[in-house]
Amino acid sequence: MVRRLLWALPPVVLLVLFFLYPLLLVVQQSLQPDTGDTSLQPYADVFASGAFREALWTTVWLAPAATAGCLVLGFFLALVIAFVPFRGARAVAKFIDVFLSFPSFLITLALLFIYGTVGMANGMWTDVTGAAEGPFQFLTTPWGVLLAEITYFTPFVMRPLLAAFSHLDTAQLEAASSLGARAPRIVRQVILPEALPALAADGSLVLVLCLNEFGIVLFTGAKGVTTLPMLVYGKAILESDYPGACVVAVVNVVISVGLYGLYRVVSRRAGA
Amino acid sequence: MGIRFDAVTVAYDGNVVLDSLDLAVQAGEVMALLGPSGSGKTTALRAVAGFVRPSAGRVFLGERDVTDLPPYRRGIGMVVQQYALFPHLRVEDNVAFGLKARKVAKTEIRARVAEALEMTGMAAYARRHPRELSGGQQQRVAVARALAIRPDVLLLDEPLSALDARLRSDMLAELARLHRELPDVSILYVTHDQVEALTLADRIAVMDKARLQACGTPRELYRAPANAFTASFVGNANLLPVTVGADGVAFAGAELKVDTAGAARGSKATLCVRPHLVGLGDGPNRLQGTVSEIQWRGSTHRLYVDVDGHRVMADVPELRTPPAHGDEVTLHFAPRDASLLTAGITHG
Amino acid sequence: MLVHSRGTKWAVWALFLVLFLPLFALPLLVVLGASFATHWSSILPSGPTTAHYSAATRGEALQALTTSLVTALAASLIALTVGTWAALAAAALPKRVRRLLDALFVLPVAVPSVVVGLAILVAFSQPPILLNGTRWIVIAAHTVLVTAFAYQSVSAAIVRLDPAYEQAAASLGARPGYVLWRVKLPLLLPSLTAAAGLCFALSMGELSATMMLYPPDWTPLPVLIYAATDRGSLFAGSALAVVLMTATLLVLLAVSRIRTKASYR
Repeated sequence: MVRRLLWALPPVVLLVLFFLYPLLLVVQQSLQPDTGDTSLQPYADVFASGAFREALWTTVWLAPAATAGCLVLGFFLALVIAFVPFRGARAVAKFIDVFLSFPSFLITLALLFIYGTVGMANGMWTDVTGAAEGPFQFLTTPWGVLLAEITYFTPFVMRPLLAAFSHLDTAQLEAASSLGARAPRIVRQVILPEALPALAADGSLVLVLCLNEFGIVLFTGAKGVTTLPMLVYGKAILESDYPGACVVAVVNVVISVGLYGLYRVVSRRAGA
Repeated sequence: MGIRFDAVTVAYDGNVVLDSLDLAVQAGEVMALLGPSGSGKTTALRAVAGFVRPSAGRVFLGERDVTDLPPYRRGIGMVVQQYALFPHLRVEDNVAFGLKARKVAKTEIRARVAEALEMTGMAAYARRHPRELSGGQQQRVAVARALAIRPDVLLLDEPLSALDARLRSDMLAELARLHRELPDVSILYVTHDQVEALTLADRIAVMDKARLQACGTPRELYRAPANAFTASFVGNANLLPVTVGADGVAFAGAELKVDTAGAARGSKATLCVRPHLVGLGDGPNRLQGTVSEIQWRGSTHRLYVDVDGHRVMADVPELRTPPAHGDEVTLHFAPRDASLLTAGITHG
Repeated sequence: MLVHSRGTKWAVWALFLVLFLPLFALPLLVVLGASFATHWSSILPSGPTTAHYSAATRGEALQALTTSLVTALAASLIALTVGTWAALAAAALPKRVRRLLDALFVLPVAVPSVVVGLAILVAFSQPPILLNGTRWIVIAAHTVLVTAFAYQSVSAAIVRLDPAYEQAAASLGARPGYVLWRVKLPLLLPSLTAAAGLCFALSMGELSATMMLYPPDWTPLPVLIYAATDRGSLFAGSALAVVLMTATLLVLLAVSRIRTKASYR
């Protein structure tokens, strides 16, 4: 037993050195600005600022909304690929795999071309109607971020779902439909219960990834959308306000880990 | 080298899966551990291999107490139900695995791999990968791999249960031949199949509910089972509840002449009669009843006869005009073909 | 098998396409198209050119690509080693301790990458270990971020590994070290390469922590792409993005080659 624990020691030491110890320093700095004595003053200052409260609110509503969108969309798309297969469904599944290996900011980059002020959609609109400006101006609002996050994170839901569906016995579906059940009923009573654990696990992963997403927000280049990770970056790199950055970072970690934990508890309660 | 269990108990979280097993396998002997699933037989085998740590008792190989030795220091050959051939290694490398792990010299390894593959008839498949082999062939490779390390003790854990019936009887003959070629190797053979145990074993240890129920030669267990469980698990048995009389027993209002030595007069006991020793028609020890079921099994007919509420089975040579359902029939058996069980009166 | 009527089937497929194409296929096509164009304000891009690519494979851009490749390679190899080691060690421990290790090694996923970047910046800008301003701080951050994924996928593979192989090897006289080297690791090889590919791809596209820490002489490609789009050179940025995607895919392809070979054995 002692020997086995010793074997686990080297990676744990590395993790502590490069992850836990740095995190601890962040917490320490957030409580101990340069003066050296411990105080909650930095927290009071940050909580009082309007920028922080706005970032907090944006982060907290955006992430669950994006997660819900990903779950619904991902479930539908995976359902079609697995159970209403068409020619090329396998290629689509492969494409999903490839999609997963690309960074998130690519989506924002592409959306800039499609819905940007001088992009495809607005260009077509102005060409057709002769108007001076296109109607698509949502990209620099939270809705643009929401669209990008749903686009980018839906494949994260689809892949495990496809794996879960491939374990589902098709005999069950055939038995259900031979008993006269129609598609919506089969989905609700046979497929959904089977997919629930995968959905729950994916949901928690996507929720955390959305809470922590940075590239998508950074690439919109919009001052209008600030999330907590953006605020950390802004305070630390652009304003060189490290204590402030540390405070926001601690809040961000607490929310992420807290929501993640809450989600796990709730989904476990729900029997998933 | 023999194997000895000395009051070996295995328990997980207070759940006893092997209860104080005392058993000795002699050097060169084939001992079958026979029992239903959950009887503790596989646990006993795994305690010898070293994958299960007894919570009490000792395990000996020869004179050596191996209870505290890790599996890799025990020098035991083992074949499991799913073979566990290493899928990433060729047949020859699978067989050489144990020798390489023991740092045997290269030339020696080559010779011993060839010998083991020859012995199991797999020499032609040395360069194949396991997944390119049939179940029976994989089985042979698993045996060759276990034999290559020249163990004194061979553990076989349900080695034939993944094979189909025909292949199973071929492999059974093959294992018997291997044992004749390696007379010094002690074999502990775990199975739930009485045919395998009766065919291969010098002695059978019958296990049930974590306990050893009986141990003896196949003939002893078959002819004179110690208790009802053994009687019904080793071969088929009619188990009739009887009352011991002066020079026989009373059953369903009839007097049956059987040997009552050792049984107290007036006591309750169980009479065991093998179905194939029950004949149709009149004779000594008559039983009368109605046919409740009749099955044609090719060379025999199996009759189920209701005798005063008790079901009696009789296996008789194929009948030209078998009785019909509901017919009144008379059955008989010879007094020496019945044995009286005084211990463990459970009918089941 | 779920929908039997032809009409419904077609309706479902149509809905699938309407959702799938604009959401997933279009963005990649747009980036690809833009990388060959100088102008795009209508349905199709205009001003075809390969100039962005000649710029994207020279000088600063080429260096950034090399930087990204070296960082991703180093980070994924270290992460794979540490993650596999931890997963193997955890598998041998009692359930409670294993749960603790699981939580510990998954934590970096739950913590925002930007915060990981900030934390590493804070920790290694001061003694005893000074890494700020060197490439090592970038590699360290990437390694921390991807180790969690390596750990998770390797532990999942270990759970699926049939203990019968290990026990067969032990019964044949193989010591634990020999079993690990000759049986467990070869059997885990397909999962290990898959984990390596995942780590590599994640590190290639990592932006959040990198933005917090990169020194001027160690600029990974994503940072360069951001710099390009930030100053309005969207088309040049697209070419860089295509280079990034291509490089990632080529490495993943090579890795999956190794994997097929490993799983065929």
